[in-house]
Amino acid sequence: MSSERPKLGPDIPKAITGWNSRTGRVIYLTADRNWSESLSEACVMTGDEAQEALRFASTDQVRVSDPYFMQVTQDGLISGRETLRETIRARGPTNHPMFGKQGGDL
Amino acid sequence: MYRYDEFDEGLVRQRARQFRGQVERRLAGELPEEHFKPLRLQNGVYLQLHAYMLRVAIPYGQLDGAKLRGLAEIADRYDKRYGHFTTRQNIQFNWIRLEDMPEVLDRLADFGMHAIQTSGNCIRNVTSDPFAGAGADEVEDPRPWCEIIRQWSTFHPEFSHLPRKFKIAVSGGGHDRAAIRVHDIGLDLKRNSEGEIGFEVICGGGLGRTPHVGVTVREWISKPDLLSYLEAIMRVYNRHGRRDNKYKARIKILVNELGEAGFRKLVEEEFAAQHESEKVVLPQTEINRIEAYFAPPVFDAALPTSEIFDAARKTDKSLDRWARHNVRPHKIPGYASILVSLKPLGAPPGDATSDQMRAIADIADRYAGGDIRVAHEQDLVLTHVRLDDVPSVFAALQAAGLATANGGLITDIIACPGLDYCNLANARSISVANSIQEAFSDPNLEDLIGRLHLNISGCINACGHHHVGHIGILGVDKKGEEFYQVLFGGRADERAAIGEIAGPGLRHEDIAPALKRVVERYLVLRSSPEETFIDTLERLGQAPFREALYGAS
Ligand code: HEM
Ligand code: SF4
Repeated sequence: MSSERPKLGPDIPKAITGWNSRTGRVIYLTADRNWSESLSEACVMTGDEAQEALRFASTDQVRVSDPYFMQVTQDGLISGRETLRETIRARGPTNHPMFGKQGGDL
Repeated sequence: MYRYDEFDEGLVRQRARQFRGQVERRLAGELPEEHFKPLRLQNGVYLQLHAYMLRVAIPYGQLDGAKLRGLAEIADRYDKRYGHFTTRQNIQFNWIRLEDMPEVLDRLADFGMHAIQTSGNCIRNVTSDPFAGAGADEVEDPRPWCEIIRQWSTFHPEFSHLPRKFKIAVSGGGHDRAAIRVHDIGLDLKRNSEGEIGFEVICGGGLGRTPHVGVTVREWISKPDLLSYLEAIMRVYNRHGRRDNKYKARIKILVNELGEAGFRKLVEEEFAAQHESEKVVLPQTEINRIEAYFAPPVFDAALPTSEIFDAARKTDKSLDRWARHNVRPHKIPGYASILVSLKPLGAPPGDATSDQMRAIADIADRYAGGDIRVAHEQDLVLTHVRLDDVPSVFAALQAAGLATANGGLITDIIACPGLDYCNLANARSISVANSIQEAFSDPNLEDLIGRLHLNISGCINACGHHHVGHIGILGVDKKGEEFYQVLFGGRADERAAIGEIAGPGLRHEDIAPALKRVVERYLVLRSSPEETFIDTLERLGQAPFREALYGAS
């Protein structure tokens, strides 16, 4: 089962993503330790800074569920072996644009 | 038809109230996700790729107009105006907010539905033949027995912490349309040598990462003894099933480890040792009471054939083609069952919009006594329709975009949600299904091919039944790229078999052309137009098809 995300080495740039506990929507940790539905606002981190941010995220349970590291480029673009999965999470299902974020929420 | 009775009402309301409190505590920060997760799962709430998902139980796939309209209302008010019917005859909503969930459960209870036993290590929704009570070939309607098992198993204290989830399916004794041989327990209604109706008991079937076809544990058990016998099986499982390893915890592993004879011996010993006081006695009055819920509708003394229908078929080619694939024989002359395909080309298999749900509800109320079923092929069935009304039903379905004429054909694909929705997926299923539909979209070609079951799963969990498709497709992940393995030779009926992997996986874009070659090879090799794909495959083995798949001409 692939519910476990691949391990990312300390030097790989990463963002933290999870689900809004209240709505279930995909969210990303921002630089000011808030959460945004927009990937472009995600904070890109490496090393200890990233680990520390994940520790914070794991305790921020009212706002986020199941946070984890996702691989991104220095510029915050999705990369690595989970590119397709994270692209689908960021944009919505590929089969039905109108049901995803492209279609607006509800 | 079964009506949600006093048995459910109290329990369901109580459950919904409890869940409201749990959600409030979760959102107030008093209940960490880790502790909340098992509670939400007990109420059918998963966290998927994009959002929370709610799985609503449709016991043995039975719906009526009011329930389907209720589901449409849920889709409109709390989701994105659609729902997904699953291979276990349930419905899933993909976008409901956790904060709305308690209200949704309350609404469901208002029209007699719930999400109990749709997740977790308990006895799940009991599934059945979508043509139950109508099939011309059945020995008896299996639904009363599904309901009896449902009532017996719901919140049964001994069976709410099983080693793993447990799935039961019941078939009425004709052609197996409920895939009973790939369930933890499959029951088949049949007569013994004295002509008395009871059950064949099959156990240890299942798909997932270690697929198995179930074995017959008992050739025949009487109706009054059924629940005691099931308890004996469940006890053997509870005692000996593995709890140390999630992947070895299903009963199929136990049956396989003990061997057919070894497992049977334990069950028979357990059954024989049951003290009279322990037996689950099922009085005839209780059987009668539940059977009465499923009393057949009053059928008109119609003629065995219908001039209206026959004449319409002659003048309307599209009606004729649809009727060939989607209208099924009924045990009452002058009636038919209608398969409403939820597989229009290019849409996610099994999805229905809220408008379509309402249209089907209206058609069912007007022409089918309100009786609607969910088929494990992710289609719907209008169970009892007068032949005279078939042309009107066709016209109404057409108007709602629901008259796709592909029942049992290669584009009537079973597919799980895959990577477009599922958090466990390795690869997409829906888009592969759509690419295959596109490749076989010529109705003449599809007619020429005839019956061919194609099933797709986005990972090894096998929710899309890929092992038991005549052609199965399994999505795998290779270093971040989607690949698809093809299996040949599976079947889910009374001759159930697990398909064999043909070889290395293919790329997403190569699947449809490869299957086109396979099917072309079949058309050349079949002994007659009547020999179906699976028959040809069983006669010749997979070698010629494997060759075609990988492109050797
Ligand atoms: C979207 C959330 C889903 C999750 C998290 C999920 C999870 C799983 C898992 C973990 C298994 C393997 C169980 C095992 O082998 O012990 C499984 C099997 C199965 N699931 Fe799902 N599934 C999901 C959706 C579905 C859907 C949409 C369907 C129907 C289309 C479905 C129907 C089945 C069936 C029929 C099996 C058969 C294998 C068996 O139990 O023998 N599931 N699922
Ligand atoms: S088979 Fe895998 S990808 Fe498909 S729904 Fe099941 S768990 Fe998800």
